[in-house]
Amino acid sequence: MHRRGRWVLLVLWLATLAALGWMVSQRLRISTDLRSFMPAPTTPDQRLLMEQVGEGPGSRLLLLAIAGKSDDQLVALSQGLAAALRKDEHFSQVINGSFDIASLDDRLLPYRYLLSPTLDTQRLDAAFLRDELEQRLEDLASPAAGLLKGLLPRDPTLEVLKLAERWTPPKSPDVRNGVWFSAQNEALLLVQTHAPGFDPDAQAIAIDGIRRAFDALPDHQGAALTLSGPGYFSVLVNAQTRGQAEWIGRISTVGFIVLLLLAYRSVSSLLLSALPIASAALAGIAVLVWLFPQVHGITLAFGFTLLGVAQEYPIRVLSHRRAGEDAVQSVRDLWPLLLTAIASACIAYAAFYASGVNGLRQLAVFTVTGLLVAGFSTRYLLPYLLPARVRDVADMPWLIAARRYADALPRPRWIPWVVALATVLMLALAQGPFWQNDLAALTPLPRDLLQRDARLREALGAPDVRYLLILQSSSEQGVLALSERIEPALDALVARHAVDAVELPSRYLPSDAVQRARQQKLPDRPLLQQALNEALRGMPFQPGLFAPFVDDVQKARAWPPLTPARFAASPLGQRLSAMLVQRDDQWLGLATLSGLHDVTALQALAQASGGAVRLLDLKDAAESLVVDYRARILHALLAATVLLVLVITLALRSVRRAWHVLAPMTLATFLVLAVERVAGVEISLFHLVALILAAGLGLHYALFFERDTGDAAEQRRTLHATLVCVLSALLVFGMLAWSSIPVLRAIGLTVSLGVAFHFCLSIMMAPHARQD
Amino acid sequence: MFLCGTILSLCANASAPEDAATARVLVNSLGRPAPARTAFAEARFLKVLDQPLVVSGELAWLGGDRLERRVERPNREVASIADGEVTQQREGRPPRHFSLKRAPQLQILLESFVALLGGDSERLEQAFAIQHTVGDTKRWTLTLTPRDPNLARTVSRIEIDGQGNEPRCMRVQEADGDLSIDLLGELAAKMPATPTRDALVALCQGG
Repeated sequence: MHRRGRWVLLVLWLATLAALGWMVSQRLRISTDLRSFMPAPTTPDQRLLMEQVGEGPGSRLLLLAIAGKSDDQLVALSQGLAAALRKDEHFSQVINGSFDIASLDDRLLPYRYLLSPTLDTQRLDAAFLRDELEQRLEDLASPAAGLLKGLLPRDPTLEVLKLAERWTPPKSPDVRNGVWFSAQNEALLLVQTHAPGFDPDAQAIAIDGIRRAFDALPDHQGAALTLSGPGYFSVLVNAQTRGQAEWIGRISTVGFIVLLLLAYRSVSSLLLSALPIASAALAGIAVLVWLFPQVHGITLAFGFTLLGVAQEYPIRVLSHRRAGEDAVQSVRDLWPLLLTAIASACIAYAAFYASGVNGLRQLAVFTVTGLLVAGFSTRYLLPYLLPARVRDVADMPWLIAARRYADALPRPRWIPWVVALATVLMLALAQGPFWQNDLAALTPLPRDLLQRDARLREALGAPDVRYLLILQSSSEQGVLALSERIEPALDALVARHAVDAVELPSRYLPSDAVQRARQQKLPDRPLLQQALNEALRGMPFQPGLFAPFVDDVQKARAWPPLTPARFAASPLGQRLSAMLVQRDDQWLGLATLSGLHDVTALQALAQASGGAVRLLDLKDAAESLVVDYRARILHALLAATVLLVLVITLALRSVRRAWHVLAPMTLATFLVLAVERVAGVEISLFHLVALILAAGLGLHYALFFERDTGDAAEQRRTLHATLVCVLSALLVFGMLAWSSIPVLRAIGLTVSLGVAFHFCLSIMMAPHARQD
Repeated sequence: MFLCGTILSLCANASAPEDAATARVLVNSLGRPAPARTAFAEARFLKVLDQPLVVSGELAWLGGDRLERRVERPNREVASIADGEVTQQREGRPPRHFSLKRAPQLQILLESFVALLGGDSERLEQAFAIQHTVGDTKRWTLTLTPRDPNLARTVSRIEIDGQGNEPRCMRVQEADGDLSIDLLGELAAKMPATPTRDALVALCQGG
């Protein structure tokens, strides 16, 4: 191709990439909700888990502690922060101390007679009122007078205080000046976000808001604000993982560039060989944007890692060029093999699509598109741009020596069998569980953070995140009625210390039936007025003082019972709304548990209910979900393996040759598994993904080593290309293996080991090397 | 507002105000070692009632920020303040707890009481603007106005009448017009059966 033609092609290619990049940047919407990386739930418990993990009341709670100042200053800071956060629409609830009557909406205040249990045992008759009024008179002479004076005309029986008592968490921390304090002298706050707990980006915005509000408080200097809770952890883990992946990525990119420069001594080759990868990445994202409304952040992160395989294509082309030979010609010679390599990698990655998990489907679409684009642009675009004159790597003295050394290695036929036997033995003898089912183990938190979380949770009496009591009924009212029915049994369990506290929906709102029953007991206006007059006889209260009380009772008598929907307008009602969930034609009530000491006692209670009440173990449900997930991936991999054998056999047109390619790859894959098992590693989903990536790379090595060209120089070029690929993979993934984050370490270690084993086994088991 | 201030200072001038130093000396002389106990009789004039509420018993400063108010008549009740929490106990009823923050009147009472009984003029001056007027024969009145605007919204002022180093009366004027008058020590026995505001003020300042 002419010089001008090359420039036109280069400019066109770059322009296409730029256009694609612009289009992607305009339309790409990245989601960070971790749930799209979990499989579709199949059982009701799993479905509930998926919702609870993100949106359950427990997962949206943040625990805050302010320390480092005198009590008075901490009280002021706590009050200031609570006031600021209550105005922030990111939060549905902010509590920093004893129950505040103001959180019951003023317009809903007449409902207190339907919400409070007083009327279950009392009637608003003269005797009851007289007793209450005498108490109020004592109150007015006591230090509490200031507290009650304002309430008196409207609420002489202090129903509001009874409700406040009922709604105050039963096990709450010490209160000093109305503010919660821990035993460590920290002011404590509980904050509920609107954003789901496992959406790190949304949680980061909420947490930023908290920190900004705190920094805006007067006298905040010197005080320390600490946070805890699922949302905070998801932000922390996200930032940590991203941070480590970034610096590791930076170092390995530099190393990779140095390696390629050393290998090919050409800056232009280096720059040009980046074009297929850049095209692959951009095309992959473009297809994702076109097919899916949102692209998951993890898809992109893993996708780029998996696309590392595609870097092999330009490397192969660069290594296999002969002196004086046109680049187009060398690619043409290489193409059948390269095509087989591309097809097999695509098959392996397509297995992710069959997993049925949205995030993994995206990953499959991204990588398969990327591999095809990288492969075809390496074949049809790149060679036309490469400089005409190159060094033939085959003439490099060290390479000649290396090839000679590799050829001279003893290759007894029994070696693969010994390796296979060792692998089987290692797999059989490895201690400990084979599979890692606990997803949390892969993104562990520093121990001190977990301890702090446990301490704050204990101090605040905040609900356990592991267990939930599920109340099921055909209607919202049914759930509330069920909740009322089991309340006595649960109270008994609390008294027996089987559990510290249970937060039932009926604690906030009684069912319609109970509200109506209480309504029935409310006297009409003349009757109430008569009773009140009788009670007031001889008492010093100003005449007409209690008119607001009489009015409120009449409203409570006439109004329709309070519904969850109407109640939701107040902060407390929102707490209730979070506890009531509609599922198809069923309604679920989610009761949170604090300090569960005796799981069997609650299970027994659930069993006695005949299925209407269940104790949900979110950890169990999560693990069963992981097991399902893995089974699907393994099935998909099995199908992919069968397909792979067929494709390679067809491409090579020989079962024997296919065997020579597939045997070292299979053996190396199991060897990695065996070595990790012996080292005590429990195999997680991420290990599986990494094994597939390593197998894809290993397949390439085996394919190229198996190629019988009968030309010693070409064999040297193959060795050169493979060495560059192996070293670059070891560089990138070896760096990841040093990460302190288990997910990154799992991938790094597995791929590094895999690349090393695949390389060694494929060179040892290459069939014709022995004949040289 | 300005007018009020001017009139007030005029009034104060008329009754010969002492300078801050003498007020300090007076407060220092009022100090007692803890625990200090005194009998009290209290009349409350509340808008919601058409006659005053009268109770009597014993007030005790237990040292630090701990106060106890023991009512003997007409019904027994013990209220104690400790660590910013108020605990109220009545016969035959479960104790009631609430935060001092929610009862500003009580907080002011605590502040002034602890500072007076501790003879801590510095603390008193921190919490209140103090006005000191002296009548005849060692009679004096301390007028305390809360400096904290939040507290001033519920309690306008506290007046303490005394003689020598003996406080006799404590009058708490609330912003909504309600008034409570405590007769202290020996004077507690002199609470009339049907007290009026004027009669009690006269008792505190004269008699």
